Amino acid sequence: MTDLQISGVKKTYDGKPVLHGIDATIPDGHFVVIVGPSGCGKSTLLRMIAGLEDISAGTIAIGGTVMNDIEPADRGCAMVFQNYALYPHMTVRQNIAYPLRIAKLPKAEQDRRVLEAAKILNLTDYLDRRPAQLSGGQRQRVAMGRAIVREPDVFLFDEPLSNLDALLRVQMRIEIKRLHKRLNATSIFVTHDQVEAMTLADTLIVMNGGRVEQIGPPSDVYRKPASVFVAGFMGAPAMNLLPATVGQDGDVMLDLSGKHVAVAQSALPQGKRVIVGIRPENVVLSAKSGAGLPATVDLVEELGGSRVAYCNFANCEVAVVLPAGEDDIEGSTVWINLPTAALHLYDQLTGLRIETPAAPKLSSLTRDAKVVS
Amino acid sequence: MTTDAIATPVFSKPVALRRISDRSGLNSAAGHLLMVLLSIFCLFPVYWMLVSSFRPANTMFETSLWPTQPSLDNYTRAIDAIPIARMLINTLVFSAVSTVLQLLTGILAAFAFARWKFPGDRLIYTGVALTWLVPFQVVMIPNYLLVAHMGLLDSVLALILPNIAAALAIMLLAQAMRGFPREVIEAARMDGANNWRILWEVLVPNLRGTIASLAILIFISTWNEYFWPLLLSRTAENSVIQIGIQMFMTAEGNQWGPLMAASTLASLPVLVIYVVLQRQVVQSFMKSGIR
Ligand SMILES: Nc1ncnc2c1ncn2[C@@H]1O[C@H](COP(=O)(O)OP(=O)(O)OP(=O)(O)O)[C@@H](O)[C@H]1O
Ligand SMILES: [Mg+2]
Repeated sequence: MTDLQISGVKKTYDGKPVLHGIDATIPDGHFVVIVGPSGCGKSTLLRMIAGLEDISAGTIAIGGTVMNDIEPADRGCAMVFQNYALYPHMTVRQNIAYPLRIAKLPKAEQDRRVLEAAKILNLTDYLDRRPAQLSGGQRQRVAMGRAIVREPDVFLFDEPLSNLDALLRVQMRIEIKRLHKRLNATSIFVTHDQVEAMTLADTLIVMNGGRVEQIGPPSDVYRKPASVFVAGFMGAPAMNLLPATVGQDGDVMLDLSGKHVAVAQSALPQGKRVIVGIRPENVVLSAKSGAGLPATVDLVEELGGSRVAYCNFANCEVAVVLPAGEDDIEGSTVWINLPTAALHLYDQLTGLRIETPAAPKLSSLTRDAKVVS
Repeated sequence: MTTDAIATPVFSKPVALRRISDRSGLNSAAGHLLMVLLSIFCLFPVYWMLVSSFRPANTMFETSLWPTQPSLDNYTRAIDAIPIARMLINTLVFSAVSTVLQLLTGILAAFAFARWKFPGDRLIYTGVALTWLVPFQVVMIPNYLLVAHMGLLDSVLALILPNIAAALAIMLLAQAMRGFPREVIEAARMDGANNWRILWEVLVPNLRGTIASLAILIFISTWNEYFWPLLLSRTAENSVIQIGIQMFMTAEGNQWGPLMAASTLASLPVLVIYVVLQRQVVQSFMKSGIR
């Protein structure tokens, strides 16, 4: 069993805290993706697991053994670096074989494993080239080969695809997924690409500012973001986040300039400030007058398969995903509807999720009513 | 030091060269002309030395560009006058051993400075850097007394001793190692390489350009060393070639012919080393730029 246990892990650089206590359990064979904005400590956490960085506090255990004071090479982890980190003076064969050579494996066994890895990664034709003579994607595969041959318990990837072009990224992403299915080793993958995160992960860890915001299966994270940060971070185009206040009887009312519109019903105390979130694909847009809140379409982004309309109502911007179409709606007035079932509610103070709101008492949306001074 | 002139082109990056060729044709023609002129300026004395070494004594001061009656007379006279072969071997041992040892200590010390954190590391590094600024004249006497006490006067070993380690080598190599991509070293650590392996199997092979440049620099400057051997040598047999050359400059006048012959012989090994290592330097420059 090579499950990974991260308990209360902290990191400080010269007294400056960077990670504020990370807890996570990663079951054997899981593919875990860590996402978060730049500088949130993803690499730091990964490097601490690898042993390249000291652990300031807390413990990291792999397969039940605390790894805090164990040398990187003895942790059973293999790492794939963002810049490939190949040995420039060695051929592909030598690069892949290097960990085996250090482990003093018999030459025949070395050759066998290198060849096997090369086959899996389509590198057999390049074994005698040097890294400089390879394309970015091939270098990436060599880096993976060097990780595979060690037959590690845990694979660590630090943004391994970020130096590749879009097409190659997709290919390599699929390749990594396939590889994981085949080897079934616990893998931790750091990225700030959402699509990579959503597609690769069995478990998603969303980090922000040195803290874990949410851990869970990607679908859960997407459907029920645990905080405003996660809500805004996961998904493209990003979730619409609208400030609101709880009115009489727990009505959740959007803070629009000049008027308040109730969009949901809650058990929250009056005056509580909240944030209402709704994904652009859940907003219903209608050209029919009176069907919701009136808004002006500021801008339409063409995405090929779909379009994103940015609508403005009472100085509030809402993005809406529309099916592809020819009609030019830019500049026109439309009516938007925020279905209660698709709403997310967050505490404005703590940023935490408030469990699903109920429909407002009055069907105020359609009537654009319940205006409070 | 005369080696400075050599050091500059060796250490300049190929990028700089490329930039010159990128400029407009006129500019590059002017640049080439300037370089040709400078080359002639630099090479002419060497050429003159070579030519003069083939001139018999009676035509020594003729001004034609090549010897009118070429002869090997000067060479036989030089070889008869001083133990040239012996001196060349001494110089070679002195320079080669100094170069190897200086590179070795340099590589080891540079690794420690570049890769490890230890109490006082900054202070020690500054100390090393400061020794570079201390002129030879200052340490000459203490060094002399030391080797004298060790009973090593008039030996090649004594010549080598103060050259075992040098700040320049340590600093240059430390700088090169600091510039080496950290991820590659971390990858090696993950692969199970200890410090020793990281140094010799990862860093050193990738720093061949720097090391070759440095080797040229050290070799030539040791080869050309004069004062330190002058201080230590008592007999011609234990002397270096630079002292041998000096022997043709006497109070009764200079024996230009044998002097030029000995100088020519003294220059040849340096030239060979330079050509051999230069190729290595250029090659490693061409291979660099790999990430
Ligand atoms: N060696 C260091 N010394 C001091 N601070 C550091 C060091 N390494 C990282 N940090 C800080 O720690 C924080 C987290 O860095 P980290 O590299 O883990 O971010 P990241 O999430 O991987 O970002 P990115 O997506 O840009 O790679 C940053 O604020 C960074 O400035
Ligand atoms: Mg990072």
